[in-house]
Amino acid sequence: MRKGIQAAAALFGAAAAAAAVALAAGGPSTTISTPTSGQKVSIHHNPYLAVAGSAAFATPQAQTTRFYLRRDGCGTANDNPHLSVTTGTDGGDGCGLVLTSVAGPGGTVDQAASVDYPSVDGMPLTLDSSRTVTGTIDLNSISVADGVAAGTGLLTVTVDLEALYQGNGVEVGSDSETVLLTPTQTEYPVAFSIQPTGTLDRADLSGLDLRVHVEGPFVAGGFIANSGKSWLDAPSWSASFAQSVAVSLDDPTFASAVPARLSGSSWSVAVPTPAIGKHVVYAQASQGFDTGAPASRSFTVTR
Amino acid sequence: MTKRLSLVATAILALALYGGSASADQAVHHPLYMPDAAHVGDPALQPPPVCCAPVGPPVAGEPAPVNMAYFGGHVQVKPKIYLVFWGWGVPGAFDHTTPGMPANDPDGAAARMTAFIKAMGGTAWAGSQTQYYETVNGQNVHIQNPTNVFGGAWYDDTNPVHDNLSGLELAQEAQRAVAHFGITDLHDSQVVIAQPQKFNEAGFNGGVGYCAWHDYTQPQYYPGVQAGISFTNMPYVLNMGTSCGQNSVNAGYYAGRLDGFSIVLGHEVEETITDPGAEDVIDGVNLGGWYDYAAYENGDKCAWVGYTEGVAPPSTVPGGLANITGNDGKQYPVQSLWSNESAGGAGYCAGAGDDLPVTG
Repeated sequence: MRKGIQAAAALFGAAAAAAAVALAAGGPSTTISTPTSGQKVSIHHNPYLAVAGSAAFATPQAQTTRFYLRRDGCGTANDNPHLSVTTGTDGGDGCGLVLTSVAGPGGTVDQAASVDYPSVDGMPLTLDSSRTVTGTIDLNSISVADGVAAGTGLLTVTVDLEALYQGNGVEVGSDSETVLLTPTQTEYPVAFSIQPTGTLDRADLSGLDLRVHVEGPFVAGGFIANSGKSWLDAPSWSASFAQSVAVSLDDPTFASAVPARLSGSSWSVAVPTPAIGKHVVYAQASQGFDTGAPASRSFTVTR
Repeated sequence: MTKRLSLVATAILALALYGGSASADQAVHHPLYMPDAAHVGDPALQPPPVCCAPVGPPVAGEPAPVNMAYFGGHVQVKPKIYLVFWGWGVPGAFDHTTPGMPANDPDGAAARMTAFIKAMGGTAWAGSQTQYYETVNGQNVHIQNPTNVFGGAWYDDTNPVHDNLSGLELAQEAQRAVAHFGITDLHDSQVVIAQPQKFNEAGFNGGVGYCAWHDYTQPQYYPGVQAGISFTNMPYVLNMGTSCGQNSVNAGYYAGRLDGFSIVLGHEVEETITDPGAEDVIDGVNLGGWYDYAAYENGDKCAWVGYTEGVAPPSTVPGGLANITGNDGKQYPVQSLWSNESAGGAGYCAGAGDDLPVTG
């Protein structure tokens, strides 16, 4: 046993000295340096097999991802409000619910409760919660004559940002802003700012949803402009911090893979030496939701 | 307790007197539907009333009153629930992917249903049904509430699947599941045929007005299928949005997106536990377990209580939809279940953590 462990340690050292692997385009990559190709391993002297290699991952860079509030229609079953990293002309631009608005206590008008804008692209996103989410909801008031708008009074805009993280909905944060509507203005870009919850820092998100709620005294105010005018900027990283290498013995499906220990660009793991005969060891690097192509190495276990 | 016993006696008497309505059994048969939130009380979605009791259809959002009775069939004393995800990995099963989620479960619905079934055993919610029993050789054998009711999960991407599945095809898949899992104890076993987004049962797709149903295979209704299999048709309820429970308990877009899966699945599996024979009457023999004279089972009587479709969060009335804590410590939205023992024996919807103050 002692001899085997010593042999494994020596092999780990060799792996650490291996040259760094250039990051393959489109995802993480890995190579196997130990065992060497065709290497013969004595099970008597090596009850544990050292497996080692190197991996390359993208370096996360701070960035900002802009999502536009988009809407395909207005008042139909196909409105499809959503967040998208691309912009364009929206069929539902300026949508609001005048006729179906509900007058609440004190004569306020709840602009059809809330509208959810779930992301349809731009995912996954590695959140940087050390910075704030910022954005703009561009509110419109109906123009009743040239230079005269219908809405007057104080309007409240509430935005709630939720993330889909590990299959669950998690609150990111919220903000509530007010804007004073006047008869001489029809457009009001309402800026908002959300400090994301610290528990989601560097989390790999599968989705984002912005829930927008507009409330105020006039049904004629509170329409949301799209077509690039309403948006949010999510502080993010260009790549995930979740890096790993999985090792699998004789199973390219990695159904029973074991995790390797990462140290810089090197990785290593010791697995029980398999039975006497020919074998294949596989290694696969993952970064966030990206998994690279597996590397493999054949070797032979001898008595 | 006395009241309950007398009810049972009355039920048996009623069966003797009114068995005729049930003996016309084979003329009309349909599974036991869970109506969606817009079709609560729709008589087209219920079997004919057992008897003449003056019980009207339930009011949407409210419990259906009067206690359930025992109709002589078996119950699932030590329930085992088997999940079949039929065709979830077949091309075309979903029209979208989600980063970080499996391609055969992009919304996490299969994972949620599996987790829920694993977590429901031993909860107070499931425990509210241990008051019901079957009578064997004169002895009442009560339903148990073991911690583990999960029998297994099978992702069947081999047997051909398609959209607009028939009930017979679902029953046939249930029979294949019995073979796959090696189920020998049909008495206590039930099979859930869960369908992916794009391959669903025809009636669900057709807007009949239900979210799911359960049934019991008999040769009259499912020719060629092994008799005695309790199974559930579990469509992809997210397709029906809020009418099948989306965001009915948890308000967040993502947090409540899958609410309907555990609510609807919980409704069906608990109905199957207390009435695995699905109210069938074969050759004058009632295979049904527990339901009321209007043929409402423990789930039907409490479906969508406190819920106004599309309004979130729901009102928190007693017996209303709510989150329960599973045996894994996680939260699962469910509907309550009818408890004859609640409200001092008058009965009420219970188990979801928002019971009436007086539970008897």
